[in-house]
Amino acid sequence: MKPAKLFRIGFTLCLSIFVMYSSDLYAQDQELRIKIEPENISIGLKDKAQIKATVVNDKDQAIAGRRVRFFTRDAKIAEVDSVGNIIPHAPGTCRIIVISPNASGNFLREDITINIKYPPLAKVEIQEMPEEIYAGTTIKLKANVYDQEGFKREDARLEYTSSNSQVITADVFGNFKAVKTGKAAIIAKVEGIEGRVNIKVIDNPVVKMELTSNTSEARTGDVIRFSAKAMDKKGNEVKDAPLAFAFQGEAYNVSQNASGLIKQDGRFVADEAGLYSITVSSGPFSASKTVNISPRDVKRKINLTGHGSVNDKHTSDFWIWEGVDGRDYGVTGTWGADGTAYFWDVTDPSNIIKIDSVQVDARTVNDVKISEDGKTCIISREGASSRKNGIVIIDVTNPRDANVIATFTENLTGGVHNLFIYEDHVYALSAGQKYYIINIKDRTKPYIVSKFELDTPGHAIHDVWVQDGIAYSSNWADGIQLVDVGNGIAGGSPENPVQFASYAYPNKASHAAFPFKSKSTGKFYVIGGDEIFPYGLDLKGENIAGGYLHFVDFSNLENPDEIARFELPMAGSHNYWVDEETETLYVAFYNGGVRVVDISGELMGDLYRQGREIAWIIPSDPNGYVPNAPFTWGAQLHKGHIFYSDWNSGLWSAKLEPIKPKDTKVESK
Amino acid sequence: MKRIAHIALSLILMVAFQANAQNYYVYVTAESEDEVGLVKFDGKQAETIERIPVGKWPTEIEGPHGIAVSLDGKHWFLSMAHGNPYGTLYKYSTETNEIVGETQLGLFPATMQVSKATGLLYVVNFNLHGDMVPSTISVVDPVTMTEIKQVTAGVMPHGSRISHDGLYQYSVGMMSGDLLELNTVTLNVDRKLKLDEQSKMEGHSGMDHGQMDHSKMDHSKMDHDKMKHDGMFHSKVKPTWAIPHPDGKRVYVAGNGSDEILEIDLESWKVAGKLPGGKGPYNVEISPNGELLIVTYKSEGTTGIWNLKEKKELARIKNSRRVSHGVAISTDNKYAFISVEGIGGEPGAVDVISLTDFELIDTAELGKQAGGIAFWKIEQQ
Repeated sequence: MKPAKLFRIGFTLCLSIFVMYSSDLYAQDQELRIKIEPENISIGLKDKAQIKATVVNDKDQAIAGRRVRFFTRDAKIAEVDSVGNIIPHAPGTCRIIVISPNASGNFLREDITINIKYPPLAKVEIQEMPEEIYAGTTIKLKANVYDQEGFKREDARLEYTSSNSQVITADVFGNFKAVKTGKAAIIAKVEGIEGRVNIKVIDNPVVKMELTSNTSEARTGDVIRFSAKAMDKKGNEVKDAPLAFAFQGEAYNVSQNASGLIKQDGRFVADEAGLYSITVSSGPFSASKTVNISPRDVKRKINLTGHGSVNDKHTSDFWIWEGVDGRDYGVTGTWGADGTAYFWDVTDPSNIIKIDSVQVDARTVNDVKISEDGKTCIISREGASSRKNGIVIIDVTNPRDANVIATFTENLTGGVHNLFIYEDHVYALSAGQKYYIINIKDRTKPYIVSKFELDTPGHAIHDVWVQDGIAYSSNWADGIQLVDVGNGIAGGSPENPVQFASYAYPNKASHAAFPFKSKSTGKFYVIGGDEIFPYGLDLKGENIAGGYLHFVDFSNLENPDEIARFELPMAGSHNYWVDEETETLYVAFYNGGVRVVDISGELMGDLYRQGREIAWIIPSDPNGYVPNAPFTWGAQLHKGHIFYSDWNSGLWSAKLEPIKPKDTKVESK
Repeated sequence: MKRIAHIALSLILMVAFQANAQNYYVYVTAESEDEVGLVKFDGKQAETIERIPVGKWPTEIEGPHGIAVSLDGKHWFLSMAHGNPYGTLYKYSTETNEIVGETQLGLFPATMQVSKATGLLYVVNFNLHGDMVPSTISVVDPVTMTEIKQVTAGVMPHGSRISHDGLYQYSVGMMSGDLLELNTVTLNVDRKLKLDEQSKMEGHSGMDHGQMDHSKMDHSKMDHDKMKHDGMFHSKVKPTWAIPHPDGKRVYVAGNGSDEILEIDLESWKVAGKLPGGKGPYNVEISPNGELLIVTYKSEGTTGIWNLKEKKELARIKNSRRVSHGVAISTDNKYAFISVEGIGGEPGAVDVISLTDFELIDTAELGKQAGGIAFWKIEQQ
């Protein structure tokens, strides 16, 4: 027989056997299925039920030897044991996966959705309400609904009514207005369950309102304090009269709208120059006062001074300091590269000179810091080929000859993203979970003295900054954390860090925290910064970031108040610096470059719209790592010069021109 | 006539050979680049045909670590080590290389595999975060991308692989020095083996320590400052990988710290033998036919090829970078694909090694710190 024919016959035979065998296998598997009984399960929290699962053939006959196993997709709602018993934990729907394993790979699977029914509603609990209210005033009812298992039911939709609408009327939002004197019950009802409070409407003694303010002339961004009094016919103040503040205004610029913010404690701030009338009312009585708001007029010119180019890799954080020889130096990290940190002579900010570099086993040196005496540099490591990461301690007594003194990796193997140095201790983040405090009095023998870690579920941390013995950390969803590491406010020390205050904001993007003690007001703010990339990040192109700065008033440590924000349209905040002497903020806004912001006086509302931005400068380098793609990482003020690092172009410097007399025209960009 | 027949036969063989020319595809992670590379090898040349950026936090390295292909080859799964703080499992389409699902896992999820017996995915949470505490194995439904259970594992569990029948997952605790056998159906850890104790016993049973003269040892040379005295156990074996043999009777463990490969007999659950190889054995795979064991020697940047029947290292091949990492073997037993990390800014790569000629054939360039590697498919050219 010819070879070709032999080959054809053999091939056809093999193919036929394969097809027959595989189709048989396929047919066999297709005939089997998992039969689940009952098909629908809907039980109460205290009920019991069992899923019965059997492997059957197409004739509905059980197949011996095929076991089944149950897995729940949401154990918080219901667990299921090895024989299919359901253990309910919470109301809701839950998918149960039923698998019949098979060592040949022919496993079978069926999914079933079970329902754990919500318990019947049990009570409507109305929050504290006054027993008496004045005729003509309005009160807001707040209530919580609970079911028979004690779960707070956010899904319950309350209906609001009054037992006597001649006395009190209700709207669908829970606002109750006292129409005339008399008695009525205000009622919140859902599914036949109701909560009610008896209210007595009494004569309103108020006959007049008075409104005063601490000024009638202010600039945009200035907080004006209004004081209101409700007076009776004898001229006495009615202290328990409910007050409501509101404003209306007209902008001087016809192309703009009057805009501002009023708080119900009487604080008002305007975003736009114009005439604003603030009104306070109590029932049918009201009083108004008009204030004149002029433009803030803080713009100043900023000039580019110098540039130290890094265009073969991304640049990360930086630090500028005065060296032991009296000259000024800088250190910059690198990102997603070869583990290099660069050292610069910046004594002449118009002539930034690269003077040395240190390369460590890392892909990213995200953060760099310098000790107070200017002798020690610490850098963070991520992506080390040894996977030990940790920190590197460098002697910069002579920054022209920077030498590695020690590496420290204990408990830091997961990567150090940010760090800080303060009074012979390093505060080093560990794998985005916690920070360790490391004693480096002997720089060659660092050792851990303590750590700070939250105990919230899924806690994480991004950065830590230490000032006056307080460590300010930014903990993403857990917000800003204030920890005493030697200040004494809470008896803490580096060996015994004690958390004493915190504030979390809803967007869960707490990425940086910087303290600001306002000399002009005596207030103590902590500025929290977001980091958000709504459009992702193109490593080789231009980018747009999101997020902004949150100004949290920590003057009352037990009740911090998020009072203001600085948000730049179409750009996102990153690292920043506060000069407390001049009450000026220097903030890097990634694609928005550096923004210089006036944060003097009391802060409230939208600082950007209030015209508090003094100047801006955007680093754009046609020879950058990504050309003409500014992405500013951080900013620092040093001896009157603004230094800033840019992800695509290295280290830059700029200087603000002095404040000009009011009648001098500022040259526009 | 005989000559014509000879030519015809040659032509048929050539055609047959041409018809059998194949392309091989592997997915490889670049841990410090936050990217995954798709590498194609045509039998002679290897090239990275696609670089897929991965991760959500653009200015932070999230560390794509483990990678696995679904049973039907339609998806690939990627464990992202860093999160806030938990890592993430991503599901990608092999057709588009775009994300089609994700779920949160434990701390620093690493190696993983889908069981053919259950269809579920099992991924160890390496927890390379400092504290020496037991971590977990996440069991994930890859259809709905839901973590359905976390099972307690050893300290820094790593190097997990599933038995040929899909019924058991084996992983090693790098710091606790134990081998775990997880039942993929019941999700219980059926057995645990202390490798340091077993490693000592194997081959040293006849040693009489009582005869040793300890007085002549020079303890002054020991650096006591660097010793840990807090009672924390650090495995000397430092196992980094476990690979079950297709015959279902043995598991091989890479003793990264003890420079050996341990052979564990599954019936007796004891160390049955050792393969002394190069320095720092790291990842280990066995060819689908069960004949060859391929091991990366991380500390010396080489790959070893062992004949398991003869327990003999057939070849040790220098890799193209200084840090050898992962191994994937083609389903036809012909090639081993080795991910090699590089150091610092040096890019990673994939070395393709012939398992018939025992030589490095070609190298495909990748992003930094090439690590996890998974064989996808063979395709006719």
